[in-house]
Amino acid sequence: MTVFAAEGLTVDIGGRRIVHGIDCAIPAGRCLALVGESGSGKSQSCFAPFGLSVGVAGGSAILNGEQLVGASEARLRRLRGRDVGFVFQQPLTALTPHLTVGKMLSEAWRQAGAPRPGRAEMVAALERVGIEQAADRLDQYPHRLSGGQRQRVAIAMAIAHRPKLLVADEPTTALDAVLRADMMRLLDRLRAEEGMAMLLVSHDLASVADHADEALVLRDGRMIEAGPAPMLLRAPTSDYARALIAASPRLTDPPPPLGPVGPPLIEASGVSVSFERPGWRRGRVTAVDDAALTIAEGEALALVGRSGSGKSTLGRAIARLGPIDAGAVRFAGAPLPDRKAMRPADRAALQPVFQDPIASLDPLWRVADVIAEPLRNLQPDLDAAAVAAKVAAALAEVDLDPALADRRPAALSGGQAQRIAIARALIASPKMLLLDEATSALDTLVAGTVLDLLGRLQRTRGLSILMITHDLAVARRLCHRVAVIDAGRIIEEGPMEAVISAPRHTVTQKLVAASA
Amino acid sequence: MFHLLRRRLFTALPTLAAVIILSFGLMRVAPGGPFDGERPLDPATRDALMATYGLDRPLPEQIGLYLWRLAHGDFGPSLVYRDFSVTDLIAKGLPVSLTLGGWALLLAFVLGLAAGIIAAARSGTAIDRAIMFATTVLTALPSFVVGPLLALLFGLRLGWLPVSGWADGDAAHLVLPVIALALPYAGAIAKLARAGLASVLAQDHIRAARSRGLSATRILIVHALRPALVPVASYLGPAAAGLLTGAVVIETVFGLPGLGRYFVQGALNRDYPLVLGVVVIYATLIVLFNLIADLTYGWLDPRTRDA
Repeated sequence: MTVFAAEGLTVDIGGRRIVHGIDCAIPAGRCLALVGESGSGKSQSCFAPFGLSVGVAGGSAILNGEQLVGASEARLRRLRGRDVGFVFQQPLTALTPHLTVGKMLSEAWRQAGAPRPGRAEMVAALERVGIEQAADRLDQYPHRLSGGQRQRVAIAMAIAHRPKLLVADEPTTALDAVLRADMMRLLDRLRAEEGMAMLLVSHDLASVADHADEALVLRDGRMIEAGPAPMLLRAPTSDYARALIAASPRLTDPPPPLGPVGPPLIEASGVSVSFERPGWRRGRVTAVDDAALTIAEGEALALVGRSGSGKSTLGRAIARLGPIDAGAVRFAGAPLPDRKAMRPADRAALQPVFQDPIASLDPLWRVADVIAEPLRNLQPDLDAAAVAAKVAAALAEVDLDPALADRRPAALSGGQAQRIAIARALIASPKMLLLDEATSALDTLVAGTVLDLLGRLQRTRGLSILMITHDLAVARRLCHRVAVIDAGRIIEEGPMEAVISAPRHTVTQKLVAASA
Repeated sequence: MFHLLRRRLFTALPTLAAVIILSFGLMRVAPGGPFDGERPLDPATRDALMATYGLDRPLPEQIGLYLWRLAHGDFGPSLVYRDFSVTDLIAKGLPVSLTLGGWALLLAFVLGLAAGIIAAARSGTAIDRAIMFATTVLTALPSFVVGPLLALLFGLRLGWLPVSGWADGDAAHLVLPVIALALPYAGAIAKLARAGLASVLAQDHIRAARSRGLSATRILIVHALRPALVPVASYLGPAAAGLLTGAVVIETVFGLPGLGRYFVQGALNRDYPLVLGVVVIYATLIVLFNLIADLTYGWLDPRTRDA
């Protein structure tokens, strides 16, 4: 029985058509994956018919025999509450911050008219989605839960009223690699148990193909390719689908070439970082415990760990961007000054690139000023023409049109913004880049091209790289060595190939399995 | 949270001391003194009076003595109202001011919140624009304009309500001053509540709530209102202190024997202990209400409890 069917589904925003006709049908118990890069209209296609976006749906979208297109908001609201469950990309912001897990779950339970659930029922519902200590969690506010736990709560809420269709918009994109695999298995299991139809939205074809029956590839609001998911993954007929699949990093990709390696550039030892315990309790929480790292000139090291493992804290402590309790850091043979004593020249040699590309650019500045900013301190006597020339050269080096120099960050795509952040790092002529999840916020396709760019820069400039990531497959694409961190301690370190082919520690084994 | 409370309590006393010392100094820098009347006193009487009240001693000693007495709950004698201590005067004026301010605070909160919620729920419509226009007018009109206008209309024209006096807290005597005092605050609260709601309603968890088929009212009240009230709470802290104590103009317009009147007369007459006493009360209330506002944040947004 078909639960959801679209025929010639269109979406208009402000009179402009952004989705040009989608046809699909999802039977009960089956999963359709809607795949495309950001801006392809995939989220709009699944939210607009239900009245959850500013977009206006046209054509036909039928849920359980009922036409959604043109239905009143009151009607759509009842349909959403009764027959559909939604899971969103950002677990951190999808839950109401001032309501406890139990209050929200109870509300979701009753949304289709069911009586107020008892505590035991709610505990069972949380345990079903894999939440430990469920009874305690009921009384907690969302911010006390980790991202993975919050996404599990969101899933428990989305299925609490036993919907016939589950719409999951990038449900794993904000989670670390190990959690992604867990979460997809959970969704598979719930779908089988409940006999729900599922509409799964993703930018990563390779990662969803295993979990979907059918796949539909969207580009610029048009269907490029559709068919059974395993077949589409194995034998894509369109160039675009092929490119999407190829962009998804795999552990079996060829290793990145390693140029000439010099003496150690960064030598960090005995690094420990702790933070004050939040709330009413006293004491400190250890984030990094006695960690040591060495990176040679011209070498890329990946610092890989799960969310909350302390990888960013360690990276920031080494780069003097964050606090450090104890430990020595030497840069090019000399001790690196304390965080407060870092001079511009020290900072120039070690440039960071962060995760959120748009947020790391000042929204009021022009691109040219963003890129030129490091020069103000480093080469204050440079005249305007020389600065403009350097900015143009930096834009060219990151494969961007020099005409972008006059834009402001709001007018950039995520990939363009991240390239500009990289150009800003390069203009300081650094010896080393600190990449803190620098491709995690980008689409598979865009992330792939940014990784390729970083690889090229690493080789041509002989850069050292410290790459912080939760995704071993992404790290594999750029880095020659890997250090695995868990609960603030470095538990395994070695050449990338060796660690991947024979992981010794269980955490490393999980990371390898999640990326395989 | 715990750190916040501890920090606030530790800073409260030095804050009060600083306020007292500063006011003390300012009072003495201002020209004139408590015994400068229309008829100059003869120097001997004057010196005797100064000695009686300890005003002839060095300034630091006077400040120290004042603080010492204050620590023992003694505000000192009034220099102008010769038969009363400052404690007596505050005990007479404070209940009037607190009653007036308390009702005005309640009215401003209820009225402002209701207007803000309705405007946010009808965002972009004529209702929203009408409410926002009204709040702008209300916040812009000073209470010494609104007060007499209300008195003129409801008191003199229509004759519904008394326009002056306290009458031992008779409710009818309170209606007009409470309204006149509350309206500008209600306008500000409405604006803050609407802006707060607008920013919360744009957040992800609201879309998630909509996706669960909840009604617009439920989303507004249950899922949006509490975090939207954070800016209102930060305004209400100082506003409450001002409302409860600083209704000087309204007390004058409506002839109410509140604390504000003593404050103004005390300042004009250079009645040092009276002015300082009122300043101490004001400052204590301001510190107290800001602390309450800080604690309210934790209830409004549980995330701040861990900060």
